[in-house]
Amino acid sequence: MGCQSSHPSAIPELDEIMLETGFSQASVVRLYDRFQALDKEQKGYLSKYDLQGIGELAVNPLGDRIINAFFKEGEDLTDFRSFIRVLAHFRPVEEGKSNETGRPEPMNSRLRKLQFAFQLYDQDSDGKISRDEMLQVLRLMVGIQVTDEQLVCIAERTIQEADQDGDGAISFEEFATSVEKLNVEQRMSLRLLK
Amino acid sequence: GEDWSGLVVALSPPPLPSRSLVLCSALLGMLPLLHSHGLQSDPVMASEPPHHYPAVISGNEPGDITAAPLGVSQEISPLPNHSSPGHAKNRKAFPVLGIDYTHVRIPFEISLWILLACLMKLGFHVIPSVSSIVPESCLLIVVGLLVGGLIKGVGESPPILRSDIFFLFLLPPIILDAGYFLPLRQFTENLGTILIFAVVGTLWNAFFLGGLMYAVCQISGTGLNDIGLLANLLFGSIISAVDPVAVLAVFEEIHINELLHILVFGESLLNDAVTVVLYHLFEEFANFEQVTVTDIILGFLSFFVVSLGGVFVGVIYGVIAAFTSRFTSHIRVIEPLFVFLYSYMAYLSAELFHLSGIMALIASGVVMRPYVEANISHKSHTTIKYFLKMWSSVSETLIFIFLGVSTVAGRHYWNWTFIISTLIFCLIARVLGVLGLTWFINKFRIVKLTPKDQFIIAYGGLRGAIAFSLGYLLDYEHFGMRDMFLTAIITVIFFTVFVQGMTIRPLVDLLAVKKKQETKRSINEEIHTQFLDHLLTGIEDICGHYGHHHWKDKLNRFNKKYVKKCLIAGERSKEPQLIAFYHKMEMKQAIELVESGGLGKIPSAISTVSMQNINPKALPVKRILPALSKDKEEEIRKILRNNLQKTRQRLRSYNRHTLVADPYEEAWNQMLLRRQKARQLEQKINNYLTVPAHKLDSPTMSRARIGSDPLAYEPKSDSGNLPIITVDPASPQSPESVDLVNEELKGTSCLPPSPEEDEEGLVMRVKDPSSPGTDDVFTPGAGDSPSNQRIMRCLSDPGPQPEPEEGEPFIPKGK
Repeated sequence: MGCQSSHPSAIPELDEIMLETGFSQASVVRLYDRFQALDKEQKGYLSKYDLQGIGELAVNPLGDRIINAFFKEGEDLTDFRSFIRVLAHFRPVEEGKSNETGRPEPMNSRLRKLQFAFQLYDQDSDGKISRDEMLQVLRLMVGIQVTDEQLVCIAERTIQEADQDGDGAISFEEFATSVEKLNVEQRMSLRLLK
Repeated sequence: GEDWSGLVVALSPPPLPSRSLVLCSALLGMLPLLHSHGLQSDPVMASEPPHHYPAVISGNEPGDITAAPLGVSQEISPLPNHSSPGHAKNRKAFPVLGIDYTHVRIPFEISLWILLACLMKLGFHVIPSVSSIVPESCLLIVVGLLVGGLIKGVGESPPILRSDIFFLFLLPPIILDAGYFLPLRQFTENLGTILIFAVVGTLWNAFFLGGLMYAVCQISGTGLNDIGLLANLLFGSIISAVDPVAVLAVFEEIHINELLHILVFGESLLNDAVTVVLYHLFEEFANFEQVTVTDIILGFLSFFVVSLGGVFVGVIYGVIAAFTSRFTSHIRVIEPLFVFLYSYMAYLSAELFHLSGIMALIASGVVMRPYVEANISHKSHTTIKYFLKMWSSVSETLIFIFLGVSTVAGRHYWNWTFIISTLIFCLIARVLGVLGLTWFINKFRIVKLTPKDQFIIAYGGLRGAIAFSLGYLLDYEHFGMRDMFLTAIITVIFFTVFVQGMTIRPLVDLLAVKKKQETKRSINEEIHTQFLDHLLTGIEDICGHYGHHHWKDKLNRFNKKYVKKCLIAGERSKEPQLIAFYHKMEMKQAIELVESGGLGKIPSAISTVSMQNINPKALPVKRILPALSKDKEEEIRKILRNNLQKTRQRLRSYNRHTLVADPYEEAWNQMLLRRQKARQLEQKINNYLTVPAHKLDSPTMSRARIGSDPLAYEPKSDSGNLPIITVDPASPQSPESVDLVNEELKGTSCLPPSPEEDEEGLVMRVKDPSSPGTDDVFTPGAGDSPSNQRIMRCLSDPGPQPEPEEGEPFIPKGK
């Protein structure tokens, strides 16, 4: 990461970003620095190639999916606003904030976090995690040495467990129900992104 | 000889009204002798006082733990009025019946005490009404009080809980049980919080209390003026430590949510290091006239040495234990013993060097567990679990009973001012400490601690037997007010255990604190947890932040790459956690199905294709499955039949050799091919299956027949030294049929070895149902028609070439 810190005024649309994502100015500045550090050619945009250059992501089973989540459908470049929008999902949830009607759902709410996670499962964006999609994720996560039969088994079992309306796929509501106990707000929060 | 005559009277058959009275008086007669058994006859304990604390026991026993047991034993030999030979000048008749109590005294007394403890436990559960209001620990203390009172009433002096017995024998099982089954995930997630509570909280308590008590002592008129600052600080450090035994005993029954449980319990475990250091420190300083800065710095250093040293010792022993367990596949019966012995050795070794034995014990349990569990058999695992629970349960019971007895037995010095102020300041210190620390900690926590949580944490700070034993170890020369200290300690213990222990449950209900979730994790949760872990690690990497996930991921990678290879036997080191979890669940279900002998819910037809390989019962019976309609018998058979063919086909065409480079696509194509062929064979199979179906009278038996038909893939080679699971599908007899390692079958495989195959992990073989209801679990599959009927269960399939995971593209090429 670069040693110099950007001045807040150098960041385009700082106020809108802070409003939209809920980040503090310090966090936005920090993420902007990171954005610029990743953007090696100083294009002002990040390409997939830039993100793939992060070593640890390459060994992450979900690395590619995570990278793809930063880019819109069909596009190959992302600007800082979109970059930080994705990261906004991982801001810790503030306690005690009541859900005022009329205000848009904050980006780091439980619902949004779940939607983000769901979207990583559901690659074809049909609103359901089919058996194949589950299988793909499992295949990513468990590596080579497990046989397909076992994986198919597990995938089917997973879907059975979660599937309440019997359509053989997991819808978003079913997904949300099955992770109820997992304390998603805590799991999907990074402390540094205040 | 008084003791002895008392005993004799109790033993001779008196005309007593009821048997229970005989038992009681026999008990009482024995008990006075317990206190004399320590130093004289047990060389181990005499020669190795706990080095943890300065050996002040030997010279300074108070009168009631008599230092003259030898005298007693000498008196015993010439029995006053029984048949043992006296000074026989004249020849007497050969003694047909004689009593030689000395011979068995020690084991006898110990067994008697333990028996008493167990009977008490039994009694409480037989009378449920009392135990729902009063926690067990309170009842046990009351029992101890009664027994102590009885003994005293008889005229004997009741035994006191000796510190070395406590620290060497009674405490380790409890701590090992706690450490081995520590919920590691929650523990590490909250480690920062726990450490702050344990270290800073205990320090705060000790100094606050010690300082205030010193101030109280300075008040003229209380008669306490001679108690110095150091003595008070020592007292503060003894009484300030939250006791794991008491916390466990009380929290276990209230089923509080895991976060609070792990916070209070973790604190009680980790504060041992602080307590040790402070205790030593102040005890040493009490000898000096003045305390220099150097001493303070050294004390500070010693804290790190004690705690980290203890952990280090524990880790070493844990690693050795894990490594040993790698080779125990041939001698399964002593596997549990390794776990216990290594852990105990870790404890003793740490005590040897004045390090924190508790932390050593916990560290060794935590470190050895994942590897040992991967290596040992299922039965050994069960054995370890039950033995640990049994020992810790008995230990706990004994501790509380002895606490009660010691209260009656000890010499007390009651000073109203001191004791009442101790009590009050203890509570205040705890509350203030928790509040202050939580305010500080909440700045760093994602999930903040609510005031309700804080209240429970403060309220759950129970004191227990450790404080008592530590106080007991003080010697009279330097601490003349020891009796008063002991009385104060006991008062605080009683107060916390009784008052707080009894009221915590209604308070928990009143405050509607979240309770523990009773249901186990589903496979969904397991998968999603891992998924989220990976996701968060990725996001952390994108942010360039080396956070919690990053280090955890690194540790996992290190673990997988190097450590597991060393410490886990054979191919099981490659098994990913998810699969292990899945297998565990399937195994559990299989056992449940066998035990219930009944048909559970039937999954939809598509899903049982591969189920057959792994679970010959092929019927997930979990209640957690969404509601599926119960099929009738015929439909069941039809479904199973359909699924059966597919897998049978697989048996013929599947070949592991084809799984190269791109397993996903290959296997996918193969599966399609298989399905195609399966449809063709449907008729043939139908005919085969309907025939025997008529003979069978129950769905269980028909399932047994069907379920055991050839399934899964080509059986792999038996390299001869692999453990084999033999499964008796759906036999209603017993879970033993789902027997894990069966070494006897190793050599009996009649499969052609396939040399290219890597060696297998566990393989599973289904018993050949040559006739319905065969009980012989151990018959190797002898080849019934249409083909060899065997199920191979591969717990880990390394594939033809075990390639390093890192270099692999993780996305399958074909989508």
